[in-house]
Amino acid sequence: MKYIPFFGCMISMKYPQFEASVRKTMPNIGVELVDVKGFTCCPDPIYFKAEDKIEWLTIAGRNICLAEEAGYDIITMCSGCTATLSEANHILKENPDVRNEINKRLSKINKKFEGSISVRHIVTVIRDDIGIDKVKESVINPLEDLKVAIHYGCHLLKPSRIMQVDDPDHPTILEDLVSAIGATPLEHEERLLCCGKACMSEEIPPKMVYDVLSSIEKIKADCMGLICPTCFDEYDIGQIRVGRKFNKKFNIPIIYYFQLLGIAQGFKPEEMGLHRHKVKADYLFKEDVKV
Amino acid sequence: MTKLNFDFRNKLDAMLDGDRLNYCYQCGACVGDCPAAKYSEEFNPRVILLKALFGMEDELIADDSPIWLCTNCYTCFERCPQDVRPIEVIIALKNITVDQEKNPVEISKIVESVRKTGRTVTYTPLVDKRRQELGLGKIEPISDAVKEIEIITKGL
Repeated sequence: MKYIPFFGCMISMKYPQFEASVRKTMPNIGVELVDVKGFTCCPDPIYFKAEDKIEWLTIAGRNICLAEEAGYDIITMCSGCTATLSEANHILKENPDVRNEINKRLSKINKKFEGSISVRHIVTVIRDDIGIDKVKESVINPLEDLKVAIHYGCHLLKPSRIMQVDDPDHPTILEDLVSAIGATPLEHEERLLCCGKACMSEEIPPKMVYDVLSSIEKIKADCMGLICPTCFDEYDIGQIRVGRKFNKKFNIPIIYYFQLLGIAQGFKPEEMGLHRHKVKADYLFKEDVKV
Repeated sequence: MTKLNFDFRNKLDAMLDGDRLNYCYQCGACVGDCPAAKYSEEFNPRVILLKALFGMEDELIADDSPIWLCTNCYTCFERCPQDVRPIEVIIALKNITVDQEKNPVEISKIVESVRKTGRTVTYTPLVDKRRQELGLGKIEPISDAVKEIEIITKGL
């Protein structure tokens, strides 16, 4: 099945290993990525929406128009892009006054928002269109014995009326995906806590990161598995920062779900860019990889 | 003594897709699972909404206003029994603060980067080097897209 990938700024430029993991693993489960040229930043759902909501919607509307012209649904891999593009698509479809206002602006570049496509997070597409069984079938190197502490982050799930991904208080989608590659998903006390990135305080976010990492340490997971590059920022390089601040060494590898899927599909840790993480993660898979 | 400022409240109402704010009955459901409230006594979404209902503009619109401590997690949007969507009230307050140029400088830095380059992350040749190591193509130049953004956002 064909979809238009929207990788966004953070994944394509800061964490290209996440893009590589998606591009390498998706063909194996029947997802064909149709690239569209000319996408800009989604734009950012925190700062840009705080600055000017209409400008935020206008730029998001332009991105959606490019996908409409190509004729396939957008899949998002970053929770921030998911938040912006899902909400913008929802508002522009549901609110005729706002749609007219945005279309007036888009007409200056000969574009028009039609409301003809959906914006969907990639995990939703895998569950609903492809089927989790396809993921299981693609595994040649099941990650048995790997205990993964799942971290959902906020914008995959909330606001649930707009995101329509899973129950925001009792989600299971990431557990199901982790089980499908042979690993064991572990719940931890703080699995639904926000990473804190958007909170403009020097005191609050480090405490939140500390509590999430402590909660994972307590259940003795081998790593944290997540789907958001912003959360990754907070827990990977953030883990070192917070460790210094509180004088505590955690050593919890942080891994993007599609990197785990890649390893399970037989790719090498380097091909998934695991050696680039600040908290070393590649050692977990050194023995598993079949040559 | 603080005076009620209905003009400010009406201004917020106009930004909020109907007069949702006025349906807040101060139950506090937004506070229980709010991470910023859990970690800081300075931040309480119920109190922010009360001040918004009273129109206490001076306390809410400032670079040191507690609104900037919001984590944008949307839990209050889920919890509110009145569909007030407290986070959207907070974002509208941020929009007003930006209009009055009283916002923290970090906000505008990110926005300027998107306006000038189309992206929030700065391109350097190292980005392409890292991408090529992983078998990915180079970052696509998007100067045409940036021009388009300028055209559709000009005169907002």
